[in-house]
Amino acid sequence: MASRGSVKSFYRQKKSGGITKSNSKPSPSTKKSSATIGAALAQSPALVSHGSPDLKDDYGESEQLLREFDVNMAYGPCIGMSRLSRWERADKLGLNPPEEVGVVLGKGKVGLQCLWDGRV
Amino acid sequence: MGFIGRGKPRAHEQDERFAIQKEKYGGQQYSQIYFARLHYMRSVLYSLIPNWKPQVPVCTVLGLEKGKECIIVGTIYKHMKLKPCVLDEYSKERSAVPIVKPHNFMHPDDHLVLEDESGRVKLSGDVFSPSTFVTGIVVALHGKETDAGDFLVLDILEAGLAPQIEFSLDSREEKYVVFVSGLSVGGSSSNPLHFQLLEQAIASQIVRVVIAGDSVEIPHGILNGQNLGTKELSRLSEPTKELDIFITQLAAAVPLDIMPGPNDPANFSLPQQPLHRCLFPGASTYNTFTSCTNPHLFELDGVSFLGTSGQNVDDLEKYSDAKDKLEFMERQLRWRHIAPTAPNTLECYPFTDRDPFFMESCPHVYFVGNQNKYESRLLKGSEGQIVRLICIPKFCKTGVAVALNLRNLECHTLSFSINLDM
Repeated sequence: MASRGSVKSFYRQKKSGGITKSNSKPSPSTKKSSATIGAALAQSPALVSHGSPDLKDDYGESEQLLREFDVNMAYGPCIGMSRLSRWERADKLGLNPPEEVGVVLGKGKVGLQCLWDGRV
Repeated sequence: MGFIGRGKPRAHEQDERFAIQKEKYGGQQYSQIYFARLHYMRSVLYSLIPNWKPQVPVCTVLGLEKGKECIIVGTIYKHMKLKPCVLDEYSKERSAVPIVKPHNFMHPDDHLVLEDESGRVKLSGDVFSPSTFVTGIVVALHGKETDAGDFLVLDILEAGLAPQIEFSLDSREEKYVVFVSGLSVGGSSSNPLHFQLLEQAIASQIVRVVIAGDSVEIPHGILNGQNLGTKELSRLSEPTKELDIFITQLAAAVPLDIMPGPNDPANFSLPQQPLHRCLFPGASTYNTFTSCTNPHLFELDGVSFLGTSGQNVDDLEKYSDAKDKLEFMERQLRWRHIAPTAPNTLECYPFTDRDPFFMESCPHVYFVGNQNKYESRLLKGSEGQIVRLICIPKFCKTGVAVALNLRNLECHTLSFSINLDM
């Protein structure tokens, strides 16, 4: 979990318990593409319309690509590093990280932290 | 400022790898430095395996198959019964484990585990003794998985001494480097007269003095939680003032490198950053004065030096066994890592993309400060490397400094004592 100075971000209570949703989301940095457990808006329309829980949170293909990069052990642990610095490290160590990931990260409209950020 | 008769050697400071000013802490844990270490060491070991056992396949820990001989590469973890664990506070039964030797945590039941990104496996077999290994070294193991689920080790490959730039024993002039450590200025065992004798002994042939840590002894006893009065404040700063006076006199005569040690006013974790210039208002005006990191890497006249103030070797002594300190130092060179127990039991900075304690090249001189006695040996490597290993004793206890001849890497002691009862 990246701590960047303020105590609030360090002790931010983001874990709102697995399947149950919480309606209050005080964090201002929640973007559409960084999926968090308990994003109320993403769940309710699906439940209502299909009658079954939509297990896939609301994120796009690029986030899926980045998550696969996060969990790939060949590039080392992902916790505590921004995705871009982990990609740069993989590049520097000669591990040939996938080009598309570097391109997507360079564009910047995606989650910059790994998928565990704020969850552990 | 000309040094009459002192041949100036070509000097080259290489401490940038140990500087942490440019590092930005982003909340990372120590898993990152272990990953970097495994990556660099594995590249080295993979290049050596074809010459070692060309027929045996290499696989990952998760790829092990029962009974099939293969080679695995990973980081050693030594499970030690007596090693204090922070989680012991939370265990329900407090088994009183008596620590017979508090300075050493070894136990006959210690066992080794090998770990890579995919998993970990317990090691068995009698080709090795856990007492010579510590957590944090990276090795290649030849063996096979047993029915019990552990890995029976048949053979071990360590990286061995790193490549070394050839040292030419040509006709150089006689030039000496003097090493001293543990001055402990301001402490009860330090005698200013000893230091005066050391200064006088700096002959014209000495081209550099290296002070390997623990130069001051700050009276911590007066820090008792109360506000300090002016008298206590000046007592606190006395040792560094006294040290500055000595260092200034020394810097006026010879190029000087001062490294921080475990008891000096520098950061606690490795790599220790250079002692601040403001501690040396007198000495820092001389361009012969250099405040260095610990570990300290430099080159003088084509001879490469690497040394520490002692923490790395002292930590090995707590978790493993050897016949003398020089053997610990030799093991570090063969493991190509000067601080393998960092960050497990030796504090260090959580680097993410490098491990500055990993040695890409082998030095010609490897020194360790603040040891109990002077010891030295010339180590010869399998590819023709030669390394002068030096244990520098604590000056405040022994009055002994070490002089190294740059021409042939021979070493001798300079002993200063004021024995008034003759």
